[in-house]
Amino acid sequence: MSTQPLTPSLPSISVIVPVCGRRSELRPLYAQYKAGIEAVGLPFEFIFVIDGDRTDASRALEELLNDGEDLTVISLTRSFGEAAALMAGFERAQGSVIVTLPAYHQIESQDIPKLVAALGSSDMAIGYRSPRYGNLFDRMRRSAFHGLVNFVTGARLQDLGCGARAMRRQVFEEMDLYGDQHRFMAILATRLGFRVSEVAMRQSPKDRLQRVYRPKEYAHHVLDLFSIFFLVRFTKRPLRFFGMLGAATFGIGAAIIAFLSVQRLFFDEKLADRPALLLGALLVVLGMQVFALGLLGELIIFTHARGMKDYRVQEVIQYPDQYPGTVTSSVDVTDVEPGEGRNSEIRHTAPPAMTA
Amino acid sequence: MTGAKVTTETGPELPGARASQTPRPRLSVIVPLYNEQESIRPLYAAIVQALGDVGCTFEMVFVDDGSRDDTAEIARQIARFDSRVRLVKFRRNYGQTPAMAAGIEHARGEILVTMDGDLQNDPADIKHLLEQIEAGYDIVVGWRHNRQDKLVTRKIPSRIANVLIGKVTGVPIRDNGCSLKAFRAELIKSIPLYSEMHRFIPAMASIAGPRVAQIRVRHHARRYGQSKYGLSRIYKVLLDLMVIKTVTTFASRPLRWFALLSVPLFLSSFAMLAHTFLTLVTNRSQLSLPLAGTGIIFLASATILLCSGALAELIYSRGDIRDNEFFRLTQTIQRHPGDVSKARPTQPVTTIS
Repeated sequence: MSTQPLTPSLPSISVIVPVCGRRSELRPLYAQYKAGIEAVGLPFEFIFVIDGDRTDASRALEELLNDGEDLTVISLTRSFGEAAALMAGFERAQGSVIVTLPAYHQIESQDIPKLVAALGSSDMAIGYRSPRYGNLFDRMRRSAFHGLVNFVTGARLQDLGCGARAMRRQVFEEMDLYGDQHRFMAILATRLGFRVSEVAMRQSPKDRLQRVYRPKEYAHHVLDLFSIFFLVRFTKRPLRFFGMLGAATFGIGAAIIAFLSVQRLFFDEKLADRPALLLGALLVVLGMQVFALGLLGELIIFTHARGMKDYRVQEVIQYPDQYPGTVTSSVDVTDVEPGEGRNSEIRHTAPPAMTA
Repeated sequence: MTGAKVTTETGPELPGARASQTPRPRLSVIVPLYNEQESIRPLYAAIVQALGDVGCTFEMVFVDDGSRDDTAEIARQIARFDSRVRLVKFRRNYGQTPAMAAGIEHARGEILVTMDGDLQNDPADIKHLLEQIEAGYDIVVGWRHNRQDKLVTRKIPSRIANVLIGKVTGVPIRDNGCSLKAFRAELIKSIPLYSEMHRFIPAMASIAGPRVAQIRVRHHARRYGQSKYGLSRIYKVLLDLMVIKTVTTFASRPLRWFALLSVPLFLSSFAMLAHTFLTLVTNRSQLSLPLAGTGIIFLASATILLCSGALAELIYSRGDIRDNEFFRLTQTIQRHPGDVSKARPTQPVTTIS
């Protein structure tokens, strides 16, 4: 950026590194990344986003700036999460290609050109660590998680945890990330109609260390899975999900009550002494309430449907009239005259006053 | 944004950009296309031919729904030498309703006609649809006379669905699946269209109280390609039907409907609790715990339903769809003894033979 400012019209790369909880020494990391990006051979800029108060990271980046390194450092006042950090970085990014890289040694930086090159045939490229290290338990856990995600979303991704992604500027522009959605960027991009490809990247030796996950993180993963599940499946049609769930609950409850009523009427068992009645009534009203929730959701969609489009237009093509005043067409309809002359022919019956 | 590795095509023209340059055409023909590379040229020719006879200004909006064959390329070639053709290209396949919605959004005509891209509809019928719009109807739907499709997988399910849809929505249209429909643009542009609602456009539009007519149209056997529907859609149709019914009935006065739902719960809970209370006072040993519990559950549930109604009211008031704004789209105003509208339908759907 010291030579000339990047412009989106020229191919150029903006590298965004969100500095969050897990981070390595930024100095050697930056050196490696820079070497990897330079190998691409396009103008580039580096943007580091420090998510909250990370004193060591700020100090390291300050030193880099003092050394005359060409990079932008954005500090957030509190920790907003990785998705917010990425968005903050993107707001400053000028390049036509956005590359996000993790703030720790996760992949070998020599593979970065491969990642960027994959954009030739797709809109977004996400890395996956291959070969991946880890013990049997880790591998099982990972494949279970990814299997679930792929099953739910219909994607075919192998490594959602990989922070190395490259995408065209447009992809990021249309994305509205919040919470922990950076992990599911590839899935969201697919939903927006972009082509996503996966690129094998060698895992950095420093990433091979055993990483201990606390139970809290597992819980977060599962909740993430839930949120992406709803986002992908039911945000457009809430009643489909809630209605089905509600109808099933209602049905079971109604069956229990019907069974009890039959027993009461024909076999003279006292209805009031049966705790099962309680269960039946509970299920019936629960079913109704779940259904009502779905209805509320559907009402939200319905009342905002005009504002949100569930499709993305790539382009609108219309060529200007080459010969203004005449109608050009390939078919033999030469007798069609443009203008008001023919119009009046069909307009002679004035439509009733319908518009106000 | 063109470069060695990264190329992105962005259309230089926005839909609004040209709107000021050319006058608004009378008619827009909207055709969603999905893998119709063989059909598109004959379709274009047939539309131009048919509308040349009608002789009003028109435009065509082709919506390429992420086709994987040459549909988009052929449509682009057509657009290149006919400025009346506008091609809206989707980034991927989204389905027929989004394609229709995009077509409706990008169309500029005063009357919008939608039709299938597979040549099964006959563009020559557009003329008849237009006549009915001119006569004062807001929506004219075609019904396929002598339908050329498979009996068991297509025609019988469709007949059952049509009866069901008619009964549930109160808009008894013979053939909801026929894409050949004509709308007044202001009306259809204000109707929310999402998910897989294209089959239910007349039912959705019923919130605006339109005058609907149906006329017989021709139907040809499929010439090219494969039919894109199977039996799998039945389940979705049923669910969508339920959604439309509830949304259109609940929409204008949500609190009232939720309250209505909660009334029986309130009543039965009061009865149960009263009974419990009486036994508590008179005959303590006969006290029935499950009954009391059920009463309490019902009471809680009724309260929550009532609160949901209030929430629904809030959602509705913050949304951008007002039931009481739709009347402007369909009202008739009489100020002189002479101006009586020609179409005064007495039933929800007028069948014109």
